[in-house]
Amino acid sequence: MKSKDQPVRIAQITCGAEYSGIQNEITSAAEQVGAKMFYPDVILKDVKTAYKDFGLPVKSPDLKLAIARAKAIVEGRIEADGIFIASCFRCAEAAIVRNELRRYIIENSHIPVVSYSFNERTGASTLLTRLEALSTIAKRRDLMAREVQEGITMGVDSGSSTTKCVIMQDNEIIGTGWRPTTEVLKSADDVIELALEESGLKRSDIEAVATTGYGRFLVGDHLKADLIQEELTVNSKGAVYLANAQKGFATVIDIGGMDNKAISVNDGIPGSFTMGGICAGASGRFLEMTSKRLGVDITELGALSMKSEGGEGVPMNSYCIVFGTQSLVNALASGYKREDVAAAACHSVAQQVYEQQLQEVDIKEPVIMVGGSSLIQGLVRAMGRMLNTEVVVPHHSQYIGSVGGALLASGFIGKNKGE
Amino acid sequence: MSQKPYVPEYVGTVTKYVFVDSPNTTPQDVAAAAYEIAKGVMIKETCFGCQITGLPEDVDRIIAHLRVLDPYRIFIKDRGFPPGDARRCRADLGGARPGYLGHEFEMQLARYFSYGLEQTDKMSAAELKKAAGEILPEPEAIDAEIIEQIIAEDK
Amino acid sequence: MVKVFIYPATSLILSDLVARFGHEPLGSAVKIREHIQSPGFDSPPIQMTSEDPQKGLKWAAVEVPSGIRGRMSLYGPLVEQAEAAIIIDEPDLSFGCMGCARTNELLAFMLREKDMPKLELRYPASKEEGVTFVAKIKQFLSELPGGTK
Repeated sequence: MKSKDQPVRIAQITCGAEYSGIQNEITSAAEQVGAKMFYPDVILKDVKTAYKDFGLPVKSPDLKLAIARAKAIVEGRIEADGIFIASCFRCAEAAIVRNELRRYIIENSHIPVVSYSFNERTGASTLLTRLEALSTIAKRRDLMAREVQEGITMGVDSGSSTTKCVIMQDNEIIGTGWRPTTEVLKSADDVIELALEESGLKRSDIEAVATTGYGRFLVGDHLKADLIQEELTVNSKGAVYLANAQKGFATVIDIGGMDNKAISVNDGIPGSFTMGGICAGASGRFLEMTSKRLGVDITELGALSMKSEGGEGVPMNSYCIVFGTQSLVNALASGYKREDVAAAACHSVAQQVYEQQLQEVDIKEPVIMVGGSSLIQGLVRAMGRMLNTEVVVPHHSQYIGSVGGALLASGFIGKNKGE
Repeated sequence: MSQKPYVPEYVGTVTKYVFVDSPNTTPQDVAAAAYEIAKGVMIKETCFGCQITGLPEDVDRIIAHLRVLDPYRIFIKDRGFPPGDARRCRADLGGARPGYLGHEFEMQLARYFSYGLEQTDKMSAAELKKAAGEILPEPEAIDAEIIEQIIAEDK
Repeated sequence: MVKVFIYPATSLILSDLVARFGHEPLGSAVKIREHIQSPGFDSPPIQMTSEDPQKGLKWAAVEVPSGIRGRMSLYGPLVEQAEAAIIIDEPDLSFGCMGCARTNELLAFMLREKDMPKLELRYPASKEEGVTFVAKIKQFLSELPGGTK
């Protein structure tokens, strides 16, 4: 393992970043998570041979260079802790290269890789979570290796829609709290209060704390957390832990309120992952809109959708949340039943996630769905049909980030704060 | 997006690369000749020749002096960055800036350019016009070996 | 002396020959220099910011990838200034500024479309072709106003 002051070296394999005006965003996002981007050094001869060997006849010289750089790392001529592959959004040629290189790296090395397509609006904050996850996977394998919760720990997940807290003791969940996120800190304090009450413990009984989610830094500072960690790694750890799938392969899908995560995990260690979604139409937000329009609480949407066979016949496209809502209204106006419309909304979200994200990770069973949206049975059914598998939804799946946090926090018991 | 102000350095200067590919003149010779008349202009010796950074008229003066050293084998090109700039330096980036490989590619053809410069320098206006009228044949689309292989496989 | 756009815009040999025979080469370096010598917001390495792909909208529509629009914000103004062009349409190994094939296609098209003297050729593959290559360029440049005869 690398020492803490040595930055994680992330190889940058990109096309178009400088000319999109976002190179500095990549560099500064990396710096914020203690990583350093570098360009794998290749000579012209390497480019010619690598490009020929790889066999993908692209025309853009910078993509040929990308191929050569990836090959140099996979073949061990250049060392890297992680790889960041990115290219311009809407470039078909680069999308093919990006995808094939990602696949090539995963199949031929153990180096974690993340791929992304950017435009000129991509900022450091968008890249931060991805690079943080990449850097954690690369550098903190010891942290990721934890399989059992010990002592009394707490995980707080400050998400974009809801804030959750879990208190664990000796590998058991003993307290939970859940609230919609309003004021970030207040919501966090409220859920902690709820969890403490349920567990019958005091704040001073907690031996270690971890925070995750969008508000992790703010809440982490507030709680003087031992671990502040992005949700990609935390949720995937929580998922394989709860689903009892810590050995072998697994795929974790988390359809969140703002964005979706798909993570492939091997022996409890996250490998490749994607995060994003073009529009809220592919996220849990669309299902919230659906339940409002159907006049049911979001917690009842799942049961309602299960009354339908699947709703595949209802015209529904949630690629864009505005048009998605329009097709929802149209479907109801055309006389489709509410349960069919509910099921169709679930199907559409599953389809968007499948098309936009699951193409970028290797789906291996078991497929574990977590997060609040995993409680919507219609969505889980739709995803299962799409992937042709029985999707696993572990207990406490809606508390996944908090459970993952509490699990990982046990590694910090007795250690100095902030390590 | 970060909004840190940027204060540029070397405003009003130009930087030129000087490449040499010659049996008679080394990169050190080129750099030494440039140093001799530098008069405060920044000269940076490199593995391929040197880089010169200064006001345009000063850089032109040095270039005129260098060109005569080995006129057919010294090549000069504009550069956006001053030498050693951390934003482009291999030491800081871990790898060569992308433009380096493009130079490497063209410098492999330097001997053809040198020969062309030498020969055309001896030509009269009429001879030059005639030489310029020659057709550069299209490169063969497929390697002859590949065609042979295809034919062999077909049999 | 006229302004001659060189394509590949990063070409060493074209930059050299155009200047050697008395004209002003217009290539990537000219614009990159302009960027890094202009104050503004810090955006290393080449001081291009998200505004540059926006400026590129003048030459490429919004559905065109940002890297192409960013590059066009470099090249578009140069094409407008250009009074002549030399095009080597096989920049297979010109990286960085000329690293995107789609930009290069658009750029070559814009140069071909503009009413100005143009020379199109390819890289030499032998010493003999080197003579033809240099002769063509030398002859072309000598025929431009102010060229060295």
